[in-house]
Amino acid sequence: MEKPKLISEDGVRVDGRRLDELRPIKMEVGVLDKSDGSAYVEFGKTKVFAAVFGPREVHPKHLALPERAILNCRYHMTSFSVEDRKPLGMTRREVELSKVIREALESIVFLEEFPRTSIDIYVEVIQADGGTRTTGLTAASLALADAGIPMADMIAAVAVGKVEGHLVLDVCDIEDKYGEADLPVAMAPRLNSIVLLQLNGRLSREEFQKAMALAREGISKIYQMQREALKRKYSSVEEG
Amino acid sequence: MPLYFSEREVVIPGQLLSDNGKHGGEGTYVIGGKVYAAQVGIAVRKNNKVSVIAFKGVYKPQPGDRVIGIVTDVKPNGYEVMLSRHLSGNMRIPDRREVKSFNLKVGDVIYAKIKESGLRGVMLDPSDRVKKIEEGILVSIHPAKVSRLIGRRGSMINMIKRLTGCEIIMGRNGMIIVKGPNPKSEFAAISAIKMVESEAHTQGLTERVENMIKNIMEGER
Repeated sequence: MEKPKLISEDGVRVDGRRLDELRPIKMEVGVLDKSDGSAYVEFGKTKVFAAVFGPREVHPKHLALPERAILNCRYHMTSFSVEDRKPLGMTRREVELSKVIREALESIVFLEEFPRTSIDIYVEVIQADGGTRTTGLTAASLALADAGIPMADMIAAVAVGKVEGHLVLDVCDIEDKYGEADLPVAMAPRLNSIVLLQLNGRLSREEFQKAMALAREGISKIYQMQREALKRKYSSVEEG
Repeated sequence: MPLYFSEREVVIPGQLLSDNGKHGGEGTYVIGGKVYAAQVGIAVRKNNKVSVIAFKGVYKPQPGDRVIGIVTDVKPNGYEVMLSRHLSGNMRIPDRREVKSFNLKVGDVIYAKIKESGLRGVMLDPSDRVKKIEEGILVSIHPAKVSRLIGRRGSMINMIKRLTGCEIIMGRNGMIIVKGPNPKSEFAAISAIKMVESEAHTQGLTERVENMIKNIMEGER
């Protein structure tokens, strides 16, 4: 397929957004009955469920650690989430993303409160349109909070891309495919620490600085929405 | 003390609660001399401490808690007891010859006191009125809601007991035994318990529970 025109002369992107605009975001907490905590997050056409189980007993038992809990994370894309059917099972990419999401979450969860247990996190991508790891991480931290697991902060994440020489916030699939660079960033906003940072492609030093500033802006907006989503769930119970 | 929340506000992890690190209570953590929330819940001020009453969360065993558990293993020197999905406790009996005298099998339900809880796991006290539950219905609710079910000085649970005529044994870990004179009153009691669990943080709950129990008890079936 030929490369489409991604940014018009007056700075409007393929899906009609400005350069520093997020996609329409929807967040809901406590959507899955059988899990201890769950969340559903939508960034435009990217749709992700996250479920948390535990702390529960570790199986097989020898994996348990005597001084802290272990965190298991599975990032998985459903076979119907992409245009060409994805074969069942974990691909190389999914195993890697599971690892980076797990490591990001390990930095905020107080694991030492639950020795000899495991906390299992399942991130299921229902529809993929770019930015699934950041959406997944956003959903996973909401689900952990919903499960009542003690943690130092929430995690909000967004990707910044370089498309036709412009830095754009929250890249979608087509921008990611034909763009020059993709920089997913996840932060714990209160701790002000970066918990995930990857870069595909090339950015100059100045571009990187600008991209991080752009990401920070997006993350603070996403964090605000996470806050509202959590508060909304519990205030709605109060009325009923 | 300076506070950064209004009374009974819903807080989320990472939210700043107080400037004074000495005030950190349950559901919070302290970094750099400041108190932050660690869980989603309602922030309250109690005894000069700031704490978060979590909406959800797992049972944290404390020495002295009375709990209900299910025997999962019989060992030469004691019993292994399941207290919740993530937690099992051990009841170690000092004199091996006495193990048999407890007469417990795998699957039996017991009511016991926690002796200690630490890195070596949870220990149950075999010498403090261990009770084998012979009959009744085992109901399990969220451990965070147990204190609401008890109510102020036992007001809630006593009301349920009085209106339904059921005997109710409560474990701090969220397991509850309901034993009543007939199925209808047991049903009323269990419905009330479930209602308290799902609407724990609402206003005027006691009245609504009372009405519901009366409705069930006066109904035909």
